[in-house]
Amino acid sequence: MNLAGQAALVGIGETDYVRGSDQHVADLILQAAMEAITDAGMRPPDIDGVIPPPGFLSTEEIAAHLGIPDVAYHVSVLMGGASPTAALQTAAMAVTCGVAEAVLVCMGWNGYSALRPRADAKPTTRRMNVGPMGEAVRNVYAPYGLLSPAQQYSLYLRRYVDTYKLSEDGAAAVALACRAHAQLNDKALMRGRPLTREEYDASPFIAEPLRKFDCCVETDCATAVVVTTLERARDLPHRPVVYLGGAEGHPMPADEIINRPNLLELGIHRAAPRAFERAGLGPHDIDVLEIYDCFTYVVLLQLEALGYAEPGGASDFVTGGTIELGGRFPMNTHGGLLSQGHCWGLNHVVEAVRQLRHSAGKAQVPGAEVALVTGYGDLGDGSVAILGRDR
Amino acid sequence: MTSMFTPDTEWLTLEWHQATVAAGRLCMQRCSDCGRWRHPPRRYCAECFSSESSFVAVAGSGTVESYAVSYRSLDPAWQERAPYATLVVELDEGPRVLAVTELQPSEVAIGRRVDLRIDARSDDFAVLWADPAT
Repeated sequence: MNLAGQAALVGIGETDYVRGSDQHVADLILQAAMEAITDAGMRPPDIDGVIPPPGFLSTEEIAAHLGIPDVAYHVSVLMGGASPTAALQTAAMAVTCGVAEAVLVCMGWNGYSALRPRADAKPTTRRMNVGPMGEAVRNVYAPYGLLSPAQQYSLYLRRYVDTYKLSEDGAAAVALACRAHAQLNDKALMRGRPLTREEYDASPFIAEPLRKFDCCVETDCATAVVVTTLERARDLPHRPVVYLGGAEGHPMPADEIINRPNLLELGIHRAAPRAFERAGLGPHDIDVLEIYDCFTYVVLLQLEALGYAEPGGASDFVTGGTIELGGRFPMNTHGGLLSQGHCWGLNHVVEAVRQLRHSAGKAQVPGAEVALVTGYGDLGDGSVAILGRDR
Repeated sequence: MTSMFTPDTEWLTLEWHQATVAAGRLCMQRCSDCGRWRHPPRRYCAECFSSESSFVAVAGSGTVESYAVSYRSLDPAWQERAPYATLVVELDEGPRVLAVTELQPSEVAIGRRVDLRIDARSDDFAVLWADPAT
């Protein structure tokens, strides 16, 4: 069975992206979830499937707090930042097969406050489910001084930069494009804080080749989407955004970075061709790109995996305005993880829906028909979703 | 200097560390049936799917395949050393390991030859240090 064109995204919800929220992490998640259900023209009893965040709040609690009386399908997706985009595939499968009629996909966390609690707030004891990252970081990376993803990912990003003798131009272009787009987004953390190339060049290294402005911004935030069948979607308030196809992919081994035959072949390299084949589309059929941007160089690697450039060529692809609004492939029109905030990439899905509804305000890509979203997480898992405006 | 984080490991990871500390030399897991090296240690061989293996001493020399240069660390003991390099070393036998080093980041390059030294923190955990090859 091909899932292409069977399911649709019909509701979106999104909190502000802030540092030091005065809301409990559970309230952030529930607020976004209720907003998505309402946006879909539904009430909580219309939801019968739940894909919760990786930690913080369970499906059982989400259903109880929102008033969802009958959960027929629940599954957790644990691929780090690749989870939300991979979850769309699972949600589409569920509604297409009929095990659920409407699936709520939630994401949210206290990405800033967990490490830096406000003096006046009681820190939450709720934690993320760290999945395979936990074992590898504790046993393998931490004893060698590599505690943060920036450090761990630099183990292969260094190889990438050295292999292709990359300048910083490509990474800077990604950082600047995301920051420019954030200026158009009322909810972006970095709205009102534009970035120049000079500031990028002057920013300190965190872990080479990653400078401060190559790294995403930790935020407190939550997002949610509702997925149902395309048939039902056509009776709901918004023009449906169709799930045209998608895929996930995992490197081998996926639980450890350095013993892969090719350090630069990641999950996205397996997911991308699968997703395009299922959707019956190619890279040049896409109008808007929402690429998981935990780090700038990771964006470059993904663009190559998606076929927008040969290996090592994404730096040239992203310079010259290609990925900015007005360019051929506008990317991260909401500001991305780099400048809107880090909601594990479900914020990329929410923005893709806005673009395809033609409700993205000042960041709208004129006439956008097809958007591509990627997820990227843990130690190199990848996911892709190709979404289209219902005709 | 504050002491660096040492984890309390279990299962196959613990077996690898114990074998290395007991031998006083870097030992790596090797398939008893097809001879393929496995690292990190695995229950089944990805080549022949055998569950049989043993830890075998290796020469302890290799080539820098990649490396990270950290300027910030959440671990205070590491922050004192910043900036510091962590190396991905491809052993001459094939598998890759991480190694810390006294080499300055500017002295590290992909392709550089190194020798590995065992720093046993206990009977159950060893850290690998990379020195310039002699």
